[in-house]
Amino acid sequence: MNAVLEVSALTKQYDGFRAVDGLTFSLAEQTATALIGPNGSGKTTTLSMLAGLLRQSSGTIRFSGSGKDPRSAIGFLPQYPKFFPWMTAIEYMELAAGLSGLGGREVRTACEKTLGFVGLGEAGKKRIGGFSGGMKQRLGLAQAIIHRPALLLLDEPVSALDPAGRREVMEMLKELGESSTILYSTHILNDAEEMTDQLLFLRNGKLIEQGPLREVREKYGDSGYRVLFRDPEAAERFAGAAPWAGSADGSAVMISGEEVSMQELLRYASEHPEGITDIGRSSVRLEEIFMKVVEKP
Amino acid sequence: MKQFGLFLGKEWREQARSFKLVWVPLVFIFFGALEPLTYHFLPQILESVGNMPEGSEFTLPEMTGADVYASLTGQYQTVGLLVLVLAFMGSLSGERKSGTGTLLYVRPISYAAYYMSKWTAAVLLAAASLWLGYGMAATYIVQLYDDMPGFSDLILFLLVMAVWIIFVVTLTLTASAALPTGGAAGAALGILFIGMMIDGLVGTYWTWSPWKLQSYGLAYLMGGPDTGDLAGALAVTSVLIAVLVMCGILMARRNAAKARV
Repeated sequence: MNAVLEVSALTKQYDGFRAVDGLTFSLAEQTATALIGPNGSGKTTTLSMLAGLLRQSSGTIRFSGSGKDPRSAIGFLPQYPKFFPWMTAIEYMELAAGLSGLGGREVRTACEKTLGFVGLGEAGKKRIGGFSGGMKQRLGLAQAIIHRPALLLLDEPVSALDPAGRREVMEMLKELGESSTILYSTHILNDAEEMTDQLLFLRNGKLIEQGPLREVREKYGDSGYRVLFRDPEAAERFAGAAPWAGSADGSAVMISGEEVSMQELLRYASEHPEGITDIGRSSVRLEEIFMKVVEKP
Repeated sequence: MKQFGLFLGKEWREQARSFKLVWVPLVFIFFGALEPLTYHFLPQILESVGNMPEGSEFTLPEMTGADVYASLTGQYQTVGLLVLVLAFMGSLSGERKSGTGTLLYVRPISYAAYYMSKWTAAVLLAAASLWLGYGMAATYIVQLYDDMPGFSDLILFLLVMAVWIIFVVTLTLTASAALPTGGAAGAALGILFIGMMIDGLVGTYWTWSPWKLQSYGLAYLMGGPDTGDLAGALAVTSVLIAVLVMCGILMARRNAAKARV
């Protein structure tokens, strides 16, 4: 896949403080990448540089495609998007669309369609000053996608939303991911787990880990299989397997490839067709990986 | 040009919905009405509230229409300038500080269009307010005073004053592009009032200065200015306005990085 964005040795230096330190990574077309790290790790600074708001101290940012202003191919949503409260949502969208290069009859249609997509179709004529935090977040997403950008940069896109709103926005982002490349920062690791092709871990401005989610999992976690036996005694046969925390009677076990071969398990299953009631892939949670990564020396 | 139109539309909407389009002209109109009325009815006002000793008597100078315009111009040079600086000091800095500018700056915008739209909206509002104020004064001067300046002299006076007001607005907007809102107000007011003080103290040594424009403008109402000096002052002011506009555009671009994210 082609890289939409290539970042090399990206650095942002303030007086006596390096907010971002030599980041190098690339984003492939139509992939979703989560930028993860503790507070103050440089996530917002990185996104601000990529969005063209901040000038980097050194390093390069290269967008693929045309040589025109790369900002026309970028949609940006800040963590706390601020709007002109005296404007209506449709007026704001028309301004955003016009400034992004859209023109003519397509503007009104695109604005109404996009507001509908983010669930603000009914609120188009209302002043933004009366919007709730969730509505503003949705409008922020709408203004970022109005021009169908090739690259979407989202800073904590769902942090201000309630669980239902978060779910809806995540679904929208998944849909957008089919046509755009997405780079988003988040503290909500469940969401990152759900919609991520690549992870970038930042700490103190440095990229300390990166890679596809699966590879990062393999590196930091003990992946295996969660097997639920009908007979607890059978479970005990698989020596070394730790009882699954969720099972009251100890009949569910977590089996890793190192402790028991899959062949042995399959043999047991063929000999006892009713002996295994459930089997599934189990993997370490991103939150655990996050803690391991940020704490690593 | 398309972006200029979009931004200008936004500025007009903002001026209308923040009621700036109403209160700024109202201040100028208020003083435009107050000044000729105050001077005309001053003897009666003093008599009713003056607590003058029995039998005391003093003579007030006979005011002409031009004198009232001069007095009104004095008001506009203090209160008027203060109102304009307060109205426009946050035009750019406010958008940076609040973060509303962030979602504009991440788009492929022309900072020239961005600045010039604010400049156009502010200049039109300020000049219209000034002219409405003088227009209001004229309606009373025509009725209450015998000696009214000629119409063509009045138009020339209004045009010269408009150039001065454009200078004031440009200075304020550029200060707002370069500095935070408080600093912009301080810088604009400081430059304007210190300039006036310096011009008042040692202004006889030079003739080409924006701070001379009001006296040259008023001279149209009182016999006619030295056109050579007026042309020089207008040229210097125009150059300063152009330089301030260019600085404003550059500072708006440079300071976009300071917008709250």
